[in-house]
Amino acid sequence: MKWRHTTAGLFAAATLICPGGAGATGAGAAGANALSAGASTVFGETREAYSQPSPAMGDVSRNVFALGRTMFGQSWVIAPARGGAAGLGPLYNRISCISCHARNGRGNAPEHERGAMRAMLLRLSIPGNGPHGGPKPHPAYGDQLNEHGVPGVPGEGIGYLLYEEHTETFADGTRLSLRKPSVHFKALAYGPLGNDILVSPRIGPAVYGLGLLEAVPDETLLALQDQAKPAGIRGRVNIVWDAVGQKEAIGRFGVKANVATLTEQVANAFNGDLGITTPETPHENCTAAQTACRKAPSGRASETEATELSQAELSATVFYHRALAVPARRGMDDPQVLRGARLFRQAHCASCHIPEMRTGKKASLPFLANQLIRPYTDLLLHDMGDGLADGRPDYRANGREWRTPPLWGIGLAQKVNPNVGYLHDGRARSLLEAIMWHGGEAAASRETVRKLPAQDREALIRYLESI
Amino acid sequence: MAFAPPHLGCNCKGVYAAAQFTHRYIYVNIPVARDQPTGLSPLACNFFAPSPLFLSRPTMRHTNRPRRGKIFPAFFAAALLALCSLPAAAESPPPSVVVMTSYPEELVSLVEAGFEKAHPDTRVEIIWRRSGDAMSYAEENPGHIDVYWAPAQRAFAKLARKGAFKRLPADMAGLPAKVGGFPISDPGGLYAATEIAGFGFAVNAKRLREKKLPQPTQWTDLADPRWRDELIFPIPSRAGFAPPLVEILAQGYGWEKGWTLLQQIGSNARPPNADAPNDSRSIAKGRVSVAVSLDFFIRAAIDDGAPITFVYPGVTGYSPAHVGVFKDAPHPDAARTFAEYVLSDDGQKLLFHPDMRRLPVRPAVYAGKPEGYYDPFQAAKVMPFEFDNKLAQERQGLNNALYDVMVTDQHERLRAALATVAKAERAAAGNQAMRAKLDRARKLVTKLPITEQQANALSGRFVSNFEFADKPDANADLLRGWAEQVARNRRQAMRIAQQMIDAQPGIGGAAN
Repeated sequence: MKWRHTTAGLFAAATLICPGGAGATGAGAAGANALSAGASTVFGETREAYSQPSPAMGDVSRNVFALGRTMFGQSWVIAPARGGAAGLGPLYNRISCISCHARNGRGNAPEHERGAMRAMLLRLSIPGNGPHGGPKPHPAYGDQLNEHGVPGVPGEGIGYLLYEEHTETFADGTRLSLRKPSVHFKALAYGPLGNDILVSPRIGPAVYGLGLLEAVPDETLLALQDQAKPAGIRGRVNIVWDAVGQKEAIGRFGVKANVATLTEQVANAFNGDLGITTPETPHENCTAAQTACRKAPSGRASETEATELSQAELSATVFYHRALAVPARRGMDDPQVLRGARLFRQAHCASCHIPEMRTGKKASLPFLANQLIRPYTDLLLHDMGDGLADGRPDYRANGREWRTPPLWGIGLAQKVNPNVGYLHDGRARSLLEAIMWHGGEAAASRETVRKLPAQDREALIRYLESI
Repeated sequence: MAFAPPHLGCNCKGVYAAAQFTHRYIYVNIPVARDQPTGLSPLACNFFAPSPLFLSRPTMRHTNRPRRGKIFPAFFAAALLALCSLPAAAESPPPSVVVMTSYPEELVSLVEAGFEKAHPDTRVEIIWRRSGDAMSYAEENPGHIDVYWAPAQRAFAKLARKGAFKRLPADMAGLPAKVGGFPISDPGGLYAATEIAGFGFAVNAKRLREKKLPQPTQWTDLADPRWRDELIFPIPSRAGFAPPLVEILAQGYGWEKGWTLLQQIGSNARPPNADAPNDSRSIAKGRVSVAVSLDFFIRAAIDDGAPITFVYPGVTGYSPAHVGVFKDAPHPDAARTFAEYVLSDDGQKLLFHPDMRRLPVRPAVYAGKPEGYYDPFQAAKVMPFEFDNKLAQERQGLNNALYDVMVTDQHERLRAALATVAKAERAAAGNQAMRAKLDRARKLVTKLPITEQQANALSGRFVSNFEFADKPDANADLLRGWAEQVARNRRQAMRIAQQMIDAQPGIGGAAN
């Protein structure tokens, strides 16, 4: 399949950036403007803003959604155990999904230097390609550092961050301190990592609206890729191995668009972060070098299931992610927000953080199909410069490239998690800090923001907080 | 991303730099300049330089889980790692404390973060275990756990009886063993309460107004038939937080009256399985007027803007959570530090956080409580009864089973019997003879199959539904006998009441 040149992509361009869709709720013009996710938009600004099911989901699916929510909030137990939910580890990072995705929102880097990574992990690899062109796992540690082990299985070690602060100065003389993390290790239990280890720290991402992102047609992403963009902005799809479909596919999940489907994303997280086997990831997360890990007991979801998470539980968790609604935009008529929206476009932020697109006519769930959505992402990879580079390639993404993260609902991130961090590793403590980390293809946008007077910077941030 | 050398271990940056660049160039296709993480000996670094073998694409069989690369050319990796590790100084892990808990993750994370802030050099390792399974885990993993910290009264009591805990430090000043007449900590000092949760009523005022119902303030208010289908009462055998409710009423009002109240309230409650026991949405959305619950289930919903209030009735009780340090704790100093932290001012103030909303056990911290936050120590000044916690623990399994016999399993029959008697009472009006018969009928409806003395004697035969019984069906015959007796009583009561109704012209027909 030729991903980079497609006539289908040109055809699909017509479905992009077509404002004015009213969504499925029948809201009026002003109301329609607030809809972030068509019929899967919810209204409310509480700490539970990311935790609502799509209003379009229907009562018949509520039990499935509830099971998925239970799995997502479940604290897992070391096997063997009575009462279910057994199978944590042998190696793991945290005991529950919500440890890193509190209330379905973003995680954060440790508050203090050397602090424990409670809502982030360290992705590992060594130079070279793994199966199907993905990252090559470290022979002893695999592809992420698991700090904890069940009794008898040593945790892999401890990773921690140190920060180096530097100051950015705006044209009006305002100064802003940015912190750059460096990763360090101690108490490594399975030998040295080696000089060529590639490490990428990642906070847990927000998990709402993912079903809609999954429903954006490939053709739309290819059209975005091929579209001419201003100010040196490019963007390209990542092509990854789809382990569920057993084929190459466009990646759209993960900070480097390195996973093709939500099912794989969820199964990998269960397996890699919690050590929970699933029908898609049926083996414990032990490397060949980890003998105690390989001998540790595993759990089973039931007598008839071979894995610790059953197929029904996995499917329900995937459903939960697909059906989590997106908070509505707020204050869209506010003059400051309108001014911020104008600045957002003028600074070419909207060239990558695409304000509007439409989901395909077919989707994994019917209510996700044919929706006008406002995710503020193109799901493409962009060179973000040295400042953000992790030097760790992932399929076609090189060490400077990152997927444009969706911005919808980001204005409520701090309400949902007061310690929230921004960017892939949570280094940015505010949205303005995050903007000032933009480099590479986004350097011109950053410099435009640097020249803005304080009032305009505030308007821009106010706009981001509204979407 | 910049990397720095680890604290210990060798550094082979200089030796490796040139090879690293070549290596990166081949694979990444972008020359990224950064420091090298290390940990390799210079010897190993030389071996680790790119070689045709290492750089060749691995012949890795695809699995559904490519991420950990189990089939990596293992012999090469193993040899390499062996070389790498030979000269490297062994680094001991930092001090940690292993904490077993059944708390939800939201709460655990907050305490972990607070503890780490106060003690940055000590790591917390969480072992999550349901309270019913905690004791067996502790027994099967001796010398592995430092601290047990959980809302699991019976498990704490059992572990203490087995001698699992060491005495807590005596200098925990300012920590009362009771809230009013309600004991919360182990009198022997083996485990201490860290927080309490209060039982009460979540009330939706809008629904109350619509249904023209009064604001309830006491348990007796909820016994009125006007509350039928307007309240949620958790089933003690199914909702882990609910068993103390039975004893709060049985001890607060006396065994007979307490159980009568329980049945009247239970009959008014929406049918079993109609609602999740701790689901605040039914009350928040106004599907019912009142939900009997624990405060923290509801406080979170109130914080999120739900139009409900929480009322603590005069006779109320608390569900305490505890902390205890194991005798064979592998990290005794860290264990003590953790226990002291959760009982400290800082640890106690965390309980006011929206993700916790529990009640601190250190009275002094209430001076800084959020506005409107309940202070149980102030309220306890009018606490009308001394609560026997030991008795409550012993009878928990029996209470749960008895409640199911009296209410859960015969919900419709109980409702019908009480309604028929009530209708007959209205019909009887001032007829004293009839009223006397109906008093007997009413007592028959709620008559327990056992006395309090019998209950005390039988309590040892029952385990709580949240624990694992060795012989789950051991009491089946006993329970069947009780159920038949209760059903007989209620049929008889309904016959008596129906006779009264039939005797009054114009009143006949089914009770409603």
